[in-house]
Amino acid sequence: MKSVLYTCPFVPAEWIAACGLDPMRMTPERAGEGMPAGVCPFAAAFIHAASTTNACAIIVTTVCDQMSRSAEIIEARCETPVFLMNVPATWRTEEAAKLYRDELARLGRFLEDLGGAKPTPEQLIETMLHYDSLRAKRRADDETARPKGLPLILAGGPLRSTDIEIFDLIEQAGGTVVLDATAGGEMTLPAPFDRARLASDPAGELADAYFARIPHAMRRPDNQLHEYLNRELTARGARGVIYRRYQWCDTWHGEAGRLKDSLPAPVLDLVAGDDESDRAHVLTRIQAFVEMLK
Amino acid sequence: MNDTPAQITLDQWDERYDQLRSAGLVEPSYGGPLRRHLADGDTRLAHLRYDNSPAALRLWNFLLTEEDRLRDARAAGAKIVGAMKDLGTVAVMACSMDNVVAFYPDGAWWIPCMMELGAGLLNIADSLGFDESFCPVRAMLGAFVTGEHFPRPDLLTCSVGATCDDFSAIAQRIEAMGEKIVWWEAPHRRRPDRGETPVELPGGFVAPQCQVDFVRGELQRVADALADLTGAKLDSHMLAAGIEAANRVRAVLRELRQLAYTAEPCPMGALEMLIAEMLAIHFCSDRTESIAVLDGLLDEVKRRVDAGLGVARPGAARIFWINPVADLRVMNLLEECGGRICGTEYLFPHAIDKIPTDIEPMEALARMALADPMIGPSAGRAARICDDISKFGAQAAVISRISGASHCAMEGTVIADRIRKNLGVPVLEIETPPLSDSMRPTLKTRLEALVEIVKRQKG
Ligand code: SF4
Ligand code: SF4
Repeated sequence: MKSVLYTCPFVPAEWIAACGLDPMRMTPERAGEGMPAGVCPFAAAFIHAASTTNACAIIVTTVCDQMSRSAEIIEARCETPVFLMNVPATWRTEEAAKLYRDELARLGRFLEDLGGAKPTPEQLIETMLHYDSLRAKRRADDETARPKGLPLILAGGPLRSTDIEIFDLIEQAGGTVVLDATAGGEMTLPAPFDRARLASDPAGELADAYFARIPHAMRRPDNQLHEYLNRELTARGARGVIYRRYQWCDTWHGEAGRLKDSLPAPVLDLVAGDDESDRAHVLTRIQAFVEMLK
Repeated sequence: MNDTPAQITLDQWDERYDQLRSAGLVEPSYGGPLRRHLADGDTRLAHLRYDNSPAALRLWNFLLTEEDRLRDARAAGAKIVGAMKDLGTVAVMACSMDNVVAFYPDGAWWIPCMMELGAGLLNIADSLGFDESFCPVRAMLGAFVTGEHFPRPDLLTCSVGATCDDFSAIAQRIEAMGEKIVWWEAPHRRRPDRGETPVELPGGFVAPQCQVDFVRGELQRVADALADLTGAKLDSHMLAAGIEAANRVRAVLRELRQLAYTAEPCPMGALEMLIAEMLAIHFCSDRTESIAVLDGLLDEVKRRVDAGLGVARPGAARIFWINPVADLRVMNLLEECGGRICGTEYLFPHAIDKIPTDIEPMEALARMALADPMIGPSAGRAARICDDISKFGAQAAVISRISGASHCAMEGTVIADRIRKNLGVPVLEIETPPLSDSMRPTLKTRLEALVEIVKRQKG
């Protein structure tokens, strides 16, 4: 089956799958050289990985300035068709929601051009139910995992595959991540589908579960993100938040100060660059943070 | 009275001002010697070189008295609208209504330069978590905190979506501090897909009608907010009249640019032209007066062109300048290095294009908003820049990277490559902070080298 590459949490995997293609959500590796100074390391890593993909198409979203611009850089570097999907920053108006729904329809036409097929409502419902159950299992697994150390929330920008070691560093420092609230983690999973609506308007339910419900730093206003983290801090008994963002990422950087001011628990603000030697420094900072919380 | 064009210092302006006054200079209410603005803290003025015409004096005084104008408007009962991240759209709407004054909070961008960091706005932004990895517009955050550089707006709007992340993040922080913001979405402009109705936008980009319709809906929400603020509806007739007035500003500016950027010798300096261009976005809080100020500047430029006079030596290297520069002094430096401005793209060429008048006014504004080169692919912006470089006959381009700006890292390369490939014109990329004095020798060397390359090519 032809695969379609993407990384943004606002791209519904079930929509690609229902069109008969294989959704391949990528967690890019650290990029090599070749990007100008000032480019966010995650966007650089995505550009690098997407430009060398075997997938039949790449979906990029307008989730931030750098990602929007990444689309044309990837297009210039490879032959693979690129679809730039408009994800509105505003989310409280019917017009913004409609724009997102229209973009899903446009994505559907793009996928059809690649050899996909427009799904029937029954196919879409079946695919949505399948993905919904996978996510429900993931949530249940996360919730039943018993914290071994001090319960912490890991929040912030998306992780590259090489960044996953932050979970180990947190454990080494005596903490446990009880919620992955990075862009790409549990926080950015779509809401569980409303079964009644699913039966009558699957496309509408799909759009709403993603567009109306995913808290992300790019949304204007951004209160969903703050409400989510406040709520989950209490619900998960977390004692602090490790907030990890990339250098040159204004979207997640912009939230750091306010989260520190408003969350009812301490926040450790970690800036991730591209330097491997940061590891020891990061570990020391996490250790100090955990010590302080104990 | 000596009317020979020259670029003079602030000290020289003192003497020049007295001479002009003795010769019967008549000034508007905001007139006066330039030096008085130093007392307001605009200390950068002491390091700039200015055009010596009364028209330039009026331009500078108009610019530097905007805060007074806004406070007077408030005192007179006008409603004040802060149109954030708005390059010539919401201001046109707001100014179409009676008793409403729009201003551009983003203008705080230049306060750290003008006050040589004396206002402490960047320190305030730092303390709120917005460090130098953000563009200089973070000074606006400081300005909202101190309340010292503009009055608190009665209504604050901000475009988001395909606009820059710097601004979106900073505006969000401002909202979190208690300022209510009407957010409106600017979608990433794209080419029409198969089966979609294409619309040609002012400036030549093409977008699908559905995107124009969407923006139109967003602007209608802004119009509704204006109606809530004033108790009066912004109807089509009012908006058409507002568009006509905005088009007058744009028409004068287009003529001014055409003359100032093509005549030989260069009839008006880079600095004054930069400020003149900025008037197109927000009218410096007084649309009628901005037309008068630009008319004055245009008359002066015409006089000089007719007389074969200018401020730069004939044969100066013809440079196309891309992006506004955080330190205004760099515009003087270009001229000191033997260059002159020959075309610009300060992020808002669509705010200089004529707003269509043969279609429904809100539709016209929506098309204009969607024509913003910053909300579409960098390649589109680069193509328009290339056209303008050819049109103005520039011999080289300077891309003035804006430190911290989320768009600069990727688009700078796209634009530079396109110019080199399509036009074979040399391109210099520089990056300047709000105060560039410490890097002045390096900047000077690089600009001189560019001028030298141009001269060698000519030879
Ligand atoms: S980390 Fe930030 S800048 Fe980088 S791609 Fe994500 S939102 Fe954009
Ligand atoms: S200079 Fe660039 S990054 Fe800064 S506010 Fe303007 S468009 Fe945004």
